[in-house]
Amino acid sequence: MSDMTTSSSGWAPNANGARRRRTDKLATLLGMIAAGILVLVLTSILWTLLSRGVTGLSAAALMKPMGPPGSGGGLANAIIGSLIQTFLALLIATPLGLGCGIYLSEYGNRQNRFASCVRFVSDVLMSVPSILVGLFVYQILVAPFGHFSAFAGSVALAILAVPIIVRTTEDMLRLVPIAMREAGAALGATRWRVTLFLCLRSAKTGVLTGILLALARVSGETAPLLFTSLGNQNWSFSLNRPMASLPVTIYQYAGASYEDWVQLAWAGALLVTMGVLAINIAVRLSARRG
Amino acid sequence: MTETKPQVALAVRNLNFYYGQNHALHDISIDFPARKVTAMIGPSGCGKSTLLRIFNRMYDLYPGQRATGEVLFDGRNILETGLDLNILRARIGMVFQKPTPFPMSIYDNIAFGVRLHERLNKADMDARVQDVLTRVALWNEVRDRLNAPAAGLSGGQQQRLCIARSIATRPEVLLLDEPTSALDPISTARIEELLDELKEEFTIAIVTHNMQQAARCADQVAFFYMGRLIEVDTADRIFTNPRQQQTQDYITGRFG
Repeated sequence: MSDMTTSSSGWAPNANGARRRRTDKLATLLGMIAAGILVLVLTSILWTLLSRGVTGLSAAALMKPMGPPGSGGGLANAIIGSLIQTFLALLIATPLGLGCGIYLSEYGNRQNRFASCVRFVSDVLMSVPSILVGLFVYQILVAPFGHFSAFAGSVALAILAVPIIVRTTEDMLRLVPIAMREAGAALGATRWRVTLFLCLRSAKTGVLTGILLALARVSGETAPLLFTSLGNQNWSFSLNRPMASLPVTIYQYAGASYEDWVQLAWAGALLVTMGVLAINIAVRLSARRG
Repeated sequence: MTETKPQVALAVRNLNFYYGQNHALHDISIDFPARKVTAMIGPSGCGKSTLLRIFNRMYDLYPGQRATGEVLFDGRNILETGLDLNILRARIGMVFQKPTPFPMSIYDNIAFGVRLHERLNKADMDARVQDVLTRVALWNEVRDRLNAPAAGLSGGQQQRLCIARSIATRPEVLLLDEPTSALDPISTARIEELLDELKEEFTIAIVTHNMQQAARCADQVAFFYMGRLIEVDTADRIFTNPRQQQTQDYITGRFG
């Protein structure tokens, strides 16, 4: 029995061992290189953005509306325009997306033809190029009325936001255990009550995260706005008229040959990025608390 | 003359149940005596939980599941179409295997069910919450944090909260589907004590895998096997001198 503990033959170096350890190290190295490249690219973008953008971020840029080159104009109307249009887009997209996600999760099981169709269309919509959405809204809300409008811009952004909200709402509701639904039903609660007060409430953090992600996604969109809200050099709060927005302004200013416009484009880009970053941090925080 | 209460709370007659094509319960007939504990035992898949879920029509949530035969409760066949399920479920409550606290405060977990069926003012609701929490021996543990989320309670406390939630709608029958299988021995003992007190007022049907639990708590025990009711008798009789060989084999641990 004693040679059970003294025997060393079981620990003899294995012919495969060295090769396997080498492969393991190589795989780790390759993974680290890929991660390193990604971080490098990202920090380089952020650094460029930060160093060029900060110089343009003056009080005038934030407070004054856009103006002709050399006139000391700012971005204020574009900032407010972006806020109005994305907020309105969320206002349209949230109830639609929530309702659709609830339908898919609670009422449209896998055998249901209509639900499968809706799910498929929603998934396709998520990957449609955003410029197509812009053209579509141009056809239904701009061309027939003969003018561009902020409302059309919001609708285009909403169309992009809806499938994201649908998908996260459905996924999050599916994570709610069946037991919760049965426990609600066992007390004599109707289905809508179970859905609204138990399921949606359990999933609220995830659903909120989906809405914020949709917000982050659409707040940088340019293409759908080019054909819809167009942009505006002046203050405008009318949803029925063209309205400025940060992404479109960046698009217009970045390619211009005026030094101060290019400077403002950088500042605008920095603002959009910081906004998206803030939303993502909010998502993280809300996910951690939930 | 005193009012005579019915002796049988639930009377099952020639009950068959199908999951789609799968014939899960065969021709079951059994009485559940009022204000007694009836335990249903048997190996997994024998149909005991299926039977329990027929009594509050839980199977209605799922398409393709159907029952034939009769389950008489308060003079009506609860299987008939057109029965108000929400009223049925207020009168026949259910507690599940895993504690399922709702995503709200301890207080609201109780009030949620009550509000579905009754309009109470604040004082009456407070009294109801205190009453049911006291009866499940939870009041002293949670009286200072009624507004805290129920998810913060321990597993045993959550399950007692779920029982409190079920009795808060004042049902006549309480269905328990392996209520202690996810709990530690101390929490289990507390819930078993609780059953003893609750049967003064409620008819209790409990599904359990724990033979000792059935022996400790039940007045009547029903043994199921492969979707058939093999034997039903008093707990004493089943555990000391069953009529059927299969029952004997199961309770002595020869299979199952």
